[in-house]
Amino acid sequence: MRQYILRRLVYVPLIMAIVSVLAFFTLRMPWAIDPVTLYVNQNTTLEQEQEIRRELGLDKPPLQQFFIWLGQVARGDLGETFRSRQPVWQEIARRLPVTLEILILSIFFSTLFGVTFGVITAVKQNTPIDYLFRFFAVFGQSIPDFFLLILLIVLPSIWWNYSPPVGGHIPFTQDPLENLRLYLPPTILLGVGGAAAMMRLTRSSLLEVFRQDYMRTARAKGLPGRAVVLQHGLRNTLIPIVTLIGGQITALFFGSLILEQVFSINGLGQFFLVSSVTGDFPVIQTLVLYTAIVVMGMNLLVDISYALIDPRVKYT
Amino acid sequence: MAATTAASRLDFAPAYRRPGPLRRLGRTARQHPAGVFGFIVLVLFVFTGIFGPALAPYDPDALSVGRPLEGPSLQHPFGLNQNGQDMFSRVIAGARVSLIISSAAIFIGAASGAFLGILGGYYGRWLDYIIQRSGEAFAAFPSLVLYFMLRAALGPGIEAIIAAIAIGALFGGNRVLRSATIIEARQTYVEAARAIGCSEWRIFIRHVVPNVLPLVIVIMSGALGGAILAESALSFLGLGPDVVSWGRDMSGQNLSIARTGYWHVVVFPGIAISLVVLGANLLGDSLRDIWDPRLRR
Repeated sequence: MRQYILRRLVYVPLIMAIVSVLAFFTLRMPWAIDPVTLYVNQNTTLEQEQEIRRELGLDKPPLQQFFIWLGQVARGDLGETFRSRQPVWQEIARRLPVTLEILILSIFFSTLFGVTFGVITAVKQNTPIDYLFRFFAVFGQSIPDFFLLILLIVLPSIWWNYSPPVGGHIPFTQDPLENLRLYLPPTILLGVGGAAAMMRLTRSSLLEVFRQDYMRTARAKGLPGRAVVLQHGLRNTLIPIVTLIGGQITALFFGSLILEQVFSINGLGQFFLVSSVTGDFPVIQTLVLYTAIVVMGMNLLVDISYALIDPRVKYT
Repeated sequence: MAATTAASRLDFAPAYRRPGPLRRLGRTARQHPAGVFGFIVLVLFVFTGIFGPALAPYDPDALSVGRPLEGPSLQHPFGLNQNGQDMFSRVIAGARVSLIISSAAIFIGAASGAFLGILGGYYGRWLDYIIQRSGEAFAAFPSLVLYFMLRAALGPGIEAIIAAIAIGALFGGNRVLRSATIIEARQTYVEAARAIGCSEWRIFIRHVVPNVLPLVIVIMSGALGGAILAESALSFLGLGPDVVSWGRDMSGQNLSIARTGYWHVVVFPGIAISLVVLGANLLGDSLRDIWDPRLRR
């Protein structure tokens, strides 16, 4: 197991190198936008423009810029943003808690509801309950998450003439109750799409497991139905479920940005959105590197969890 | 003479006659009402996307065609927004950008991804390895991050959106097609074609590709819903092109107005998106059930 993990980790620097080259040079292709044009107006003199270009480090040839940046990153310095001239790392660290909370809560809810309803519909296959939940699941996968979040704001304003507060952020450590009151409703809704996908996956994998011989044996030896379904059935469907959870973590980054937009929260999603529109190269480069690390870490965790879930899976 | 009459008298007509293609289509349609519903919705969507501006009762951009923020009425079925623009006309006009971006992304992304999957599955060896590994790499990368990178490089415009959604759809069905192709390439008819001296390219184009083509359509219709959702979400974030679109009509000023109780300003574009995506998903599910039950989840 340890050997397997070490072998996987050997690939990390290689992949990071490829990703950083791709990210860096996509932004500096001949047809790419010159970010300096975004920081000048008609009153800027040519000298001032040169000065800005020099300050941003964009006056050197791209290859030289790349190695300067690489040297910085190797020393743990992600550079300064073009816009605020603050260290990229600080700007990210400041916004990380909000986005992280949104991600954790919505993954929790989508897994909770998805697996629960998946088990219910599989056990009650071809009954009205099954049809009803599957009908809702198709809807859940079709309604855009921003529409659900907008309805969360708009419906109370029609029914009770009340509009949920927008724009405030209360850190969890400061006032846990108020924080959850703020974040629970939108994150439950954000999890709807994922829950629908999770429900369909759980249901179909569970139905497949139900046909196995060991399920019949479990019933034959007199185990109560609940134990058969949960211990023998669900345990054997965990692998596809865990894989889907791993995939959702990256997908929900989009969802977090949507939530931040609708509720005017200044989170990571907002920060990256603004940075991409303003051509803030150091931030975008960091975003790409960061995503690559998260994705690789996620995949590794998912693969390791296979061995924990299923004793037949062995890595050597 | 006697032999011919004897033969003609013999009744060779089988007890069961295979119904004509139209009748078979009708039978399939009756078994999949949800798919028919999805098909009708998508046909309407494409029709509105092409002829939208001609169908709209008002110019979607015309200001003050009625009292601003008026609720739904017979004259303005979806009401008016804060600029006095007719929401019904704007919902009709919004179909176009959604149709252009999603279909461009599907035809570029899902179609070429499907081709790569078939090619890799048939040829195998190093080509398959490269396609599968890069597929894994792209599948892991959220298309939003990709879009942010392209947006910073290419600036505003439709290209970055189409490219990001297309790359997102590129490797969606790749795996499934690859395995279907591997199975198909081992069939006896492929061996027969090779035995009579067909070139590898001819076998690939004339025999293998047509046999996995239904799967390509299944995958493309499955990816359509996701592409429309992605387009509307980007427009909602204010990243879309500067034209009337469903996502854009639900953001910014419209959203803040809706908070004060004027729900009709944002709800109708939202219903339009949901309906079209629902149609695409239902059609995709039905096509999958009809052509490839193995894919059923």
